[in-house]
Parts: sequence; C-alpha cells; structure tokens
Amino acid sequence: MEQSKLSSGIIFDIQGFSVHDGPGCRTLIFFKGCSLECSWCSNPEGISFFPEPLYRVSKCTFDGLCMNACSKGAISSGCNNEVGQLHFDRKFCAQCLTHDCAKACWSGALNIGGYEISAGDLYARINRDRQYWGRGGGITLTGGEPFMQPEFTFDFLKQCYDNYIHTAVETCGNVPWENYEKSLPYIDWIFFDLKSMTSVQLPSTSPPPVRLSACPPVPLILDNARRIAQEFPGRLIFRLPVVPGFNDDTANISATARFIQSTGRNEINILPLHHLGREKYNLIGKTYYTEDFIIPSPEDLHEIKQQFSSQGIKCYTGSETPF
Amino acid sequence: MNTTAQTHINYYGNKPDDEVTSCGSKRQPTSRAHAARELYFEAKSSVSIEFPYWYTRRWEALDGEIPIVRRAEALKAGFEHLTPVIYPGELLTMGKASYLRGSYPMPWLSEAFFMAAEDDLYKEAQESGKLTADSFTTMGKGGGNVTKSAGNVISIAGKFGLRLEELPAMLEVAKKWKNKSVDDVGHKYEQLVPGYKEKEALMRSVICMFDSGYTLPQGREVMNYYYPLQFGIDGIIQNCHDRIAEVAGYPDMDRIYFYKAVILTLEGIKHWIVNYAAEADFLASIETEARQKTEYLEMAERLTWISANPPRSFHDALQMLWIFHVAVLNEDAISGLSPGRVGQVLYPFWQRDMKNGVIDREKSLELLECMRIKFTEIDCFASMGVVGGVLSGNTFNNLCLGGLLKDGTSAANELEILILEAGITCDTPQPTLSLLYDEKLPEEFLLKGIECTKTGTGYPAWINNQVAMEFLLGNYGHEGLHLEEARAWAIGGCLETSPGSWMPLELDHEIHWIPGGSAPATSVGVHFLNLPKLLEVVIFNGMDMRTGQRIFPPHGYNLDDYAEIWQAFKDYFSRACHVLTLANNIQHDAWRKISPSLVNSMLKPDCLTKGKDIGQMGCRYNTTFNIETCGTTNLVNSLGSMKKNIFTEHNYSLDEYRKAILANFGYKTAKETGSWSLIDQVPGEDHHLWKKIHRQSLDAPKFGNDNPFVDNILKEWEEWFCKMAHNYRSLYDQPMYACQISVSTHGPMGAVTLAGPDGRLSGTTFSDGSVSAYPGTDKNGPYALFNSATCWNHAESQNSQLNMKIHPSVVKGREGSRKFLELIRAYLRKGGFHVQFNIVDSRMLKQAQADPDKYRSLLVRVAGFTQYWVELGKQIQDEVISRTEYEEF
Repeated sequence: MEQSKLSSGIIFDIQGFSVHDGPGCRTLIFFKGCSLECSWCSNPEGISFFPEPLYRVSKCTFDGLCMNACSKGAISSGCNNEVGQLHFDRKFCAQCLTHDCAKACWSGALNIGGYEISAGDLYARINRDRQYWGRGGGITLTGGEPFMQPEFTFDFLKQCYDNYIHTAVETCGNVPWENYEKSLPYIDWIFFDLKSMTSVQLPSTSPPPVRLSACPPVPLILDNARRIAQEFPGRLIFRLPVVPGFNDDTANISATARFIQSTGRNEINILPLHHLGREKYNLIGKTYYTEDFIIPSPEDLHEIKQQFSSQGIKCYTGSETPF
Repeated sequence: MNTTAQTHINYYGNKPDDEVTSCGSKRQPTSRAHAARELYFEAKSSVSIEFPYWYTRRWEALDGEIPIVRRAEALKAGFEHLTPVIYPGELLTMGKASYLRGSYPMPWLSEAFFMAAEDDLYKEAQESGKLTADSFTTMGKGGGNVTKSAGNVISIAGKFGLRLEELPAMLEVAKKWKNKSVDDVGHKYEQLVPGYKEKEALMRSVICMFDSGYTLPQGREVMNYYYPLQFGIDGIIQNCHDRIAEVAGYPDMDRIYFYKAVILTLEGIKHWIVNYAAEADFLASIETEARQKTEYLEMAERLTWISANPPRSFHDALQMLWIFHVAVLNEDAISGLSPGRVGQVLYPFWQRDMKNGVIDREKSLELLECMRIKFTEIDCFASMGVVGGVLSGNTFNNLCLGGLLKDGTSAANELEILILEAGITCDTPQPTLSLLYDEKLPEEFLLKGIECTKTGTGYPAWINNQVAMEFLLGNYGHEGLHLEEARAWAIGGCLETSPGSWMPLELDHEIHWIPGGSAPATSVGVHFLNLPKLLEVVIFNGMDMRTGQRIFPPHGYNLDDYAEIWQAFKDYFSRACHVLTLANNIQHDAWRKISPSLVNSMLKPDCLTKGKDIGQMGCRYNTTFNIETCGTTNLVNSLGSMKKNIFTEHNYSLDEYRKAILANFGYKTAKETGSWSLIDQVPGEDHHLWKKIHRQSLDAPKFGNDNPFVDNILKEWEEWFCKMAHNYRSLYDQPMYACQISVSTHGPMGAVTLAGPDGRLSGTTFSDGSVSAYPGTDKNGPYALFNSATCWNHAESQNSQLNMKIHPSVVKGREGSRKFLELIRAYLRKGGFHVQFNIVDSRMLKQAQADPDKYRSLLVRVAGFTQYWVELGKQIQDEVISRTEYEEF
C-alpha cells in the first residue's frame, strides 16, 4: 500500500508489553475520542477527540509563562487563586492547534495528551515492537473508541493484517455499523464491551448520575453486538466492567447472559471497577465522580462468574484469562 | 552488582517482612533450613583473629624461606588453628571462621586501615564498655551489621564486630605487616610509573574508585572443584609428590616450590577438616537426641572420609565442594567467588545416588536449601569503602544454570530444577542464580526459571549464552579457547563473563564432562572509571571543580563543536586508563609475590599440570584484566544534551552550561540538603534563572526511548571503548577488555560529580548498570528500551547490565509466566546480554510513591488501562500498593 494514501488519526498512547488485552504480549494503541462518556472511565484523557493539555499542578511553579504564551487567553489563575491551580478554558483548548502553553512551560507541569499520526507511521512504529512480542502477540486497538476514526482504523488494521500481524480491537459498540463494516475482514479478535442491558441511571442523590453518555445508545450497541457475532468469523469476547450498584445486579447479569447466548457466542471477560484512572481526571480538569463506588469484592465477582457459568458462558475475571 | 543489592531491598540483612508478597506463590523452606535461616538472622557479622594470628606467627618464624613456601606454611597454620564450630541440624558444615557470619582481616594485603584507625579503635573500646546490653540489641536494626560498638564488642569498618579482648592481638598482628603488606609494597613501587601524580589525582577526585591489587585481588571468577571431586585431597597430594620427583633439579625450578606449597596448604586444609570431624564426634558423644546423634556421627564419618578421599555420594560431593569454596575464601580477600554450574558439576553424583536409591528429591531439596544458607553465611572482610561502596554487603557467589554441554546440547538437568526450587522455597541472598539462556534449553526448564524470578527474589538473572560465547571466542581465541571450550563458561561474580574448561570426571568407569572455571580473577585492573565526572573534567579543561584541583593538563581544545568534546573526552579517558593500568599492574605484581594464591591455584586448570600458580599464568586462560566503567547512561545523555542544545539548536553556549553546572541548575546541592536521592533535591532561591536550561536539558533526547539521536552516541562510545580497551595490557601481558557493570559505585561516584548537561543534579546517584535508563527517562515502555539497549553488539564487552522493575500484575498466573518468558526471550534474541527483574513488592511501591519520577518506567498493567505512574496520585498509588499486598490484580 502506498504510504501517501494512508489516512491519519489521533491517538494518545502506545503501550508495549501489554498482557491482558488479547493473546500473548501485545502493543496497545489508545485512540483518542469516544462516543460514550462513562463516569468510571479509567482513561478519561481518551474521551475528547482532540489533543488537550494535561496539567500537573504538583509540578507547576506559577510563573505565568503558559498564560502569556496562550494567544486565546484560555489560561487563568482561576477564581479562587488561593487553591494554587491554573484554570484552563477547555473550549478553547479543544480548538487549539499550536499548544504554545506546553511549549512555554519549563517546569514540566504541562504536556499535551494526544497527537496525530499517519497509519503508515503508526505501522512503522508497531513494526519495532513486533520483534519483541514473541509467540502469539500482536496489536490491540483501544482507547477511546477506535471505530470513531474508521478510515484511520481501517487503513492501519489492513496494513497490519496483510503483514501477518495478529489484530485485536476493543470497542464500546456505540458507533454506526458502517464504521465496522470495512474493517471486519482485517480483525482477528474483538473485545466488545457490554455495559448494561438497559439505560440505567442511578438515583439523583449521587450527582451527577453515572451515565452511559446520551440515550439511547443501548439498542445500537446491542444491534452491533448481534451483527458482529453473526458476521465476524474471529474470536469475539464480550467484556463487562463490573460497576457495583450500576450493572452488577442479578437482573442485569442474567439479561447479559441471555443476550450473549442469543448471539451464539459464549465468552465474557468481567473487569472489576478500579479507581486507577482517578488522578488523570485532574490532569484534564475534570472531576471524578465515581470515587465512592466500592470496588467489587472477590466474592461478588465469583458470584457473577457463577451466574454466567450456569448459563453455559465462559466467564474470565480481570486478568485471569486463558489467553 | 548493585542490581542485586537493590533486588534484595526487602531482604538483605533483614528479616523478610511478612506482608511482602508477590505474584508467585510464597513458599517455605524445610524446617531444617528454616531453623538455620532463623539462626542466620540472629547472627552478627563478626571478626575473629585466629587465622591472621597464626598465619602471621608462622610467617614471622620463616623469615628467609622461599616466598611461596612461606606463604603456604602460613596458610597451613591458619587452617589448622581454626576452631571448629558445628551447629545443630547442619547437614553441611564448616565456615570461614568460628562465628556463624565470621570473617577476618588479612593484614598481609593491607594493614593501613588498622594503623590509621588504631587510636579510634582504642577509644571505641573504652567507650563501648559504658554502653549497656540494651543498646547492643538495638543493633539488630542494621540486619547483621555491627554498626556501633557496645558492651564487649567493637565495631570495625562500620559492619563487623570484634570481641574486645581480641583487639590488642589484631593491632599487634597488623603492625607486623607495616611496610610489608601488598598495599604498602605496591604503593612503594607504583610511584615509579611516570605520571603517577595523575593517578593520585584520579583517585582523590574519585574519577577512579579503587586500587585493585590489595583490595579484592581475587574473585569475580568461577570455581573449579574437579580435582578434589575426582582425586580427593590425598590424590592431589600424591600427584604433587609425583610431579616434584619429575621436575626436581630440572630447569624452571619454581615448579617444585609450587608443588611443595600445594602439599603444605592441603595438609592444613586436611587438618582443618579433621578438626571438624573430631568436633562432630565429640558432639555426638554428648548428644541425647537420637536423630541428632546419628547426624553428628554421619557428619564425622563423612568429614573423615573426605579429608583424604574423593566423595562417594552427592552429599559427600556437596560437602567437599563447600569446603574448597571456603578454603579459597580463606586465602584472600575475595568477593564474587562463584561456584559456577553446580547442578552440572554434581549431576553425576546425584544421578547415581538417585538410581541407587541413596537419595530422593525431598532429601536433595533439603540439602540444596542447606547449601543456600551456607553461602549466605559468607562474609567478606574488606575496608569500609569496598564493602559498602562496591558490594553493598553482597558477596556475589553466583550459581549458574542452563547453558550448553560440551557437545552443544542443552545442559539443563533435573538437579538444576531442584536448585531453582530451593531458590524459591529458601529465598536467601546467596548464592544468587543466573540462568544461561540458550535457544536449546527446554521450555519446562525456562518456565521453572520464570517461576523463580516471579517470586521477587531478583534471581535468576537472565543471561545470553550465545553472546557470552561470542565474547569469549573473541577475547580468548589467542589463548586457544575454541567453541567447545567456550560452552564451559559461567558468570563469575555478579555479572562477569568468565571462561571455563570441561573436566573429565570419571565415575563408575564412565566419563562425565563437567564445566568449571579456568581463569583467575577479573574486575581487576582499572577498577571503575567515573564517566560523567570525566566529562565534567573535559568541560572544565582538566579541573575537578568540586575540589578545585587539577586532574589533567588542559586538553587544548576550544570545544566549539561536538567533535572536539568527543575527542577531548576520548583523550582524557585514554590518559586515565594508561596510568591506572600501569599502577595497578604493579600492585598486582606485589600481590603475586607476597600473597600468591595456593588454594585457588591448585583447583584451576592447568596450574597443577604446569606447576605454576595463578600469578605465574598457571591458568589455562589469563586475559582477565579489564577496564570497568560507571555512569555510561549519564555520560551518553549528557553528550546528547550538549549535542542538541549547544551544537545543533544553539540554545545555549558551552559557557552558559558551565555556569548552569556550577550553579547546580539553581538547586541546592545534595550536600546542603543532606540527601543524595533525587526526590529530596530542592530548588534554591535563584532556581528561576536556570529553569529553562534545566528543562531543556531534561527534555533533550534520552537513552532508552529508541531515539537514534542519543542511541547513536551510545553506539559510538561502545564501539570506541570496547576496542580501545584492548590497547592496554595487563600484568600478564594480555590485552584488557571492557567491563560494564556499576555494582554499587553509581552512588558514591554520583556523590562527587557536579550537575550534568543531562539535567542530573549535583551529588545525585547515576543510573545503574550500563544499559539501564536513567530513572524516569525511559518513557516509551520496555520495547523502546530494548531497542536502545541493543543498538551495539554486547559481545564486544564482558557484559552489559539491564535492570527492570515490574509490578506483579504483569506476570501473574500461568499466562503471565509464558508472557514473561516471551519478554525475556525477545530481549535476548535481539542480542541483549543480561536482564534482571525486580518484581516490586509493596515496600518498593512505597518508595515509588515517595519518588514517582524515578519510577516512571515501573511496569504496571491493567486491562485496557494506560498508566502514567508519575501521574498517579498518592491515593492511587496507595491502592496499587494495597493491591500488591493482597494480590488482588
């Protein structure tokens, strides 16, 4: 394939030697931008579609260099200065192409999360890692939502696939079917996230509600899941982030199990909620609302696993997977 | 090696914390080994004066005797007078001295320390009596180190305890060696080297860290136990008598003195064993517990047998191996005496015992655990600077596994699996394990190695068998080393590739080719050159700006392009190597004349055949002297930063860099803050003046990120250094070679070095190893680091060293083991020589929490999650820590 014809996309990280997202040792590519905005998301810097400032207040020396550098005046010392934290007007940041603020920062407090890369360059980068995967490894596209950049994803997947690289993707399912269609023949393995069988919202006592972006994503997600199960010949493993109080109730679990049965597939990987992404919310000026959520106990997870198993579905907990 | 010292951060010298868990299953040793280990934890590093007293007394009496015979007589007297001490439950017995963690000074190497400290020691002695027994017990804090004098015990060199009543004898013995020790004689003559003043300046400025001739003149080598295993002590003695009859009166007469000296030394060793046998008999006579009584009797019988004869069983053979290992340690100040490929050396004995039902796996495992405890008990008495600064208290008795047999097939065997198993069940610091990885090794064996690495002990280290063989063929070919012989190699010391030989062990009329060391000590010669400091001296035109003293004459370059910096550096580096090589050759010459090796010599092929000791090139291979460096990564990063900021982008002039370095980028100095750790460095008042240059220095390309701009500088350095090292010739007129492990020197050497153009602050520790990234600067994951590390051919150097920190989440479970093996295999296939892992425990994560920048490359992996450790807040880190403790990943 001619490099010049390949499209570009925006990603925010490439992580080698990842071991829980597909068979073997893998390189994960984190795509920027997601069509959902789940409040427990552990990669919140992957939600917005454009490169954005990551601000580490602990390193900030408040010398004002970034404020002076920003031509939009998007950075201010904030209304309550005593807190000692700069404020970024993220409306402007989302449209910014120059990121002068980060270039002007000498304290190490400001970095830009996300960058543009062509499918060809990304492939060259992956080729470096390829020599280290060993047996059974490959790439996994995750994010963010890889299929929100369908052209880029297609170009990259095809190039990898054509060069005998094992390709895996993780998708939230909330994209138009066309976004998948072209890429499917070039994928070996899919993780498909099922967050809930219904558009549940928690009672308004814990503002803002835990949400799955705007309604109604669920029918679209489930439709996509059914079609992929039908048309995709590779291995399809559903994933369920276990968020206590939101989707861990017996009704949802058994509905999920029934749904998986109906697709003709039989594997699910349940991922216990964790708070490891909490600090990253600060970096992008957001608040982490899921803080008080309990992390599911091993007993809870065991029970969920039992529920799936009793329906004939193989359930893997966290990193305890047979691949 | 430092890595090992850090590896045992949760262990060395301390009891392991109960809460320290890991991704592997934590298992317990047998109750016998457990009891022995508990005893070890209670024991303090203790000095006894028995051996040096009798050695010196005999030496004095024989004034005028042929030196090597005099030395042998002195050694014999030392061995004969060691008081035997046997501990209940021991299956293997004997040790360096009469204390469990016993050792002793060897004033014939250097007595200067005692002379200098004499007054202080007497003062200590007076003071110590005033302290109560309570204060004595608080010393437990430092593990087995006796850091303070108290009660009836005096602290020496900050580590060893000496009984008060032995102090006068020790000082008296030390005085006898004034002007006669290797140190004193060597110093007298090294001053004859032209440019000697430069050598002194290099030592004072800590551009070079150690003299090697009298500090640790032996070690970093692989033992060879073939002769005692095959012929027994009487067999070797008989052989020497036969040889004397052949050579007496013929030219090259030195041979008869050597054989005579070997006989005398063996008589001493024999006597020492017999004394232990008698003690075992005595203990049996007063023992009431039936099983223990039987064990004492068996021990007495075994010792009596092997005091004369070759071993009959695996147990005999292991005891014999241990006796000769200790015997070598008792003839010289030695670190890094590696037992080598023990599982292959003893396999014929073990296999026969298994076949005959003499032993089973359970019993074998118990014995191997006992062996671990024994090796852990080894202490090395050397001066404070050497023990603390280089070794971190570690003795580096490296045991190797795997590799290839003489015929080129896999050498891994079942006994080695049991050795790995004992390393898991009985995790003690020694012997540390190294797995010689070869594509031909069976998967089962490799995964057993992974299982052991996963327990978080830090061993086995993973070593590239083929790279080592290529190195040996390249550097020992001129001495006749060929491919088959190259396969007999092992690691000597922490990470020094050492040549070996195949020896024909005959058992039941069948020949078993066993590997063993076949060369003398390495890591002698130029003993650690401080590369970043040398660059500093280049930048300041020959001056050490910390002390204000001149090291070298001005280099004569304007330094107005990068090529001149590079050339000036090469000039100074060569100049340092030149004078240090010559001075150290003289020191080693004093060593071989005053304190020739006898025990080690009689064990190493082909000393007995040639009739020459190690110092007379009796060994089959003698090209072991090397040039050791420290701070490679900081040097390379500094050159990279200068290349970019001064010569490519012209952001700053060299003068501006000089000012920034002297101003420590506006930070307070480590001396002011009282801490050498990166995290404790605090900006001073005018930090803002230097903020930009500091940031641009930190942001300049760094090694470890697969960035050719800086990786090419490493490549250029390595290719030049590995070649130029051959220009220098050792005492034995052999070319020297490059050795690149930092051991623990990157701490003290960093301490004397000003800030660097790479952004490193004054006084702070360098990056460890030689291909480990500077903490916090490898931001692109392990694969990028691997690419950077392998940009040069590791087979050109005696070693390279890569240390990585991994969180248990990454390698948990069966799949985790397989993936971990893939990671290691991939690096070694790419040509990496060594990789070693710290599977972090909760305590290390707490350090990471205090100093997140330093742990930027700590691998934590959670499904679908991308992590930036440095950005993880305290809460998150707490969570990762608690997860680590409870294995919830």
